[in-house]
Amino acid sequence: MEKIDEQFAMPACINAKSKPSLFCPGCGESMILKHLGGVIDNEKMQTKTTLAIDIGCTLLAWNYFNFDIIQTHHGRSVPVAVGYKMSRDKRLVIALMGDGGAYAIGLQSLLHAAFRNNPILAIVINNTEYSMTGGQMAPTTIPSEVTSTSPIGKNASCFGPAFHGPELVRQIANPNAYIARGSVSNPTILEKMISKAIKNQIDGNFSMIEILSICPTNWKTDAKGSFEFLSKLENIYSLGEIIKNDKKDN
Amino acid sequence: MTKKTTKIVLAGEGGQGIQTIAKILSLALEKTNCSVSYIPQFGPEQRGTPSVAFIQFGDEPIYYSQFSTADILVVLRKRALVSIDRFIGPKTEIVFDSSTIPRRIIQQNNKYVFGIPATKLAEEKFKSKSLNLIVLAAISKRFFDYPKNALWEIVEKQLYKKFAKNPEIEKNARDAFDFGYEFELENKNYSKAEFDVASGIIIKKNTQRTAVIIPKYCKGCGICIEKCPVDALSFGKTLGVFGTPVPEIDLDKCIACGNCFRYCPDSAIRVVKK
Repeated sequence: MEKIDEQFAMPACINAKSKPSLFCPGCGESMILKHLGGVIDNEKMQTKTTLAIDIGCTLLAWNYFNFDIIQTHHGRSVPVAVGYKMSRDKRLVIALMGDGGAYAIGLQSLLHAAFRNNPILAIVINNTEYSMTGGQMAPTTIPSEVTSTSPIGKNASCFGPAFHGPELVRQIANPNAYIARGSVSNPTILEKMISKAIKNQIDGNFSMIEILSICPTNWKTDAKGSFEFLSKLENIYSLGEIIKNDKKDN
Repeated sequence: MTKKTTKIVLAGEGGQGIQTIAKILSLALEKTNCSVSYIPQFGPEQRGTPSVAFIQFGDEPIYYSQFSTADILVVLRKRALVSIDRFIGPKTEIVFDSSTIPRRIIQQNNKYVFGIPATKLAEEKFKSKSLNLIVLAAISKRFFDYPKNALWEIVEKQLYKKFAKNPEIEKNARDAFDFGYEFELENKNYSKAEFDVASGIIIKKNTQRTAVIIPKYCKGCGICIEKCPVDALSFGKTLGVFGTPVPEIDLDKCIACGNCFRYCPDSAIRVVKK
């Protein structure tokens, strides 16, 4: 059996000195990063990985790992990752962002990276709101969800329905691009998705995974309530690989 | 004669309810026909970062909301102390949570340093969330001699939404409030903080399984308890990094499925088969 120390319950590429991490109790992002670390360990990619992080709660990952991390401007983790990959094409490049960074301020960067089929992995953490600033309404907020800027529930006729990012990106992305949606409610499938996406990047294609996550602080839920709300989100945002819908093209 | 402007600093961690009691205190002081200013200061909307409230009140108009030395300073967590250390002057009266902060780390040799074991009281007698009301009641009594019922009215007005949800919360809050109001702030020797974060690693073994729990990483979110398929986990008595209870494991029930390890956001728990 391996030695029992402070690193015992975490993947080796996670920085034990950053613990306790800066995330809130029960944060889904922290869970996602742990599984990302686990996959990177399994693939033995620790010395070859670079992570670009966005503004928002994702920036709290600035010392989470024992590999290179770049802090970028808001919504710009994808273009920075693309540029980095162009100059260092042997490295595994991951762009981490929230749903605000990916679908609101940074949508054009994400769309064009998918359109050009740049070989990076974009991980989008979707918790349906802007969490760091106090849970404001985002494009991904589902209809009638209560946030701090939609106190009586999101009005879908005024602010639109829930924003389906991967489905949108799929429409213009290269056919070889791997686009999927996972959830923290099933970490095993999530790890498989990440490892598939990493292999797809090594083959020279764009990959994107949207991960439905929980935010107990801003949803004002306990452990049970968070996962109940997450299963509600999973009914609206269907999980799995996103396949191109050709019906509309014909 | 006019009352001199009194400056108060309240500090704790995000999620403790510092801004709630600061708001209640400001509203209460405003009722005494004083000028009051209240400035909150906190970082991102996040649990565990320092949350500070600056209050000034007095008969004279307040022209500027900042100040350099506090007259009364209340601090409820060790990590918040760093950000408010500079407001302590030689005459500052300090109130600190003696169950989580050892006296020695408050360096100053001020004459009035009062300990109130608020976390301990809240955990043992009431609910952990009522910590802020105990402190509010205690300082209102000690420093302003504020009438109890008038203060409770403001508390009720501010927290009516929470109270409406569950009458038990109101009863609990009222009990904690009453207790805090009767609590005597004294100058005592508070050398040991009983409710400090547990250090080291908890290892439990039986013939088939080994469970490892690291309390200094645990934030008490309760996800492992929620995700355990055989109910082998429950909250215990050890305290984690945010002063919240750490889960205890019943190894006879445990089937070593690995769910707690898989779902724990903070890498604080893992069970392995031998």
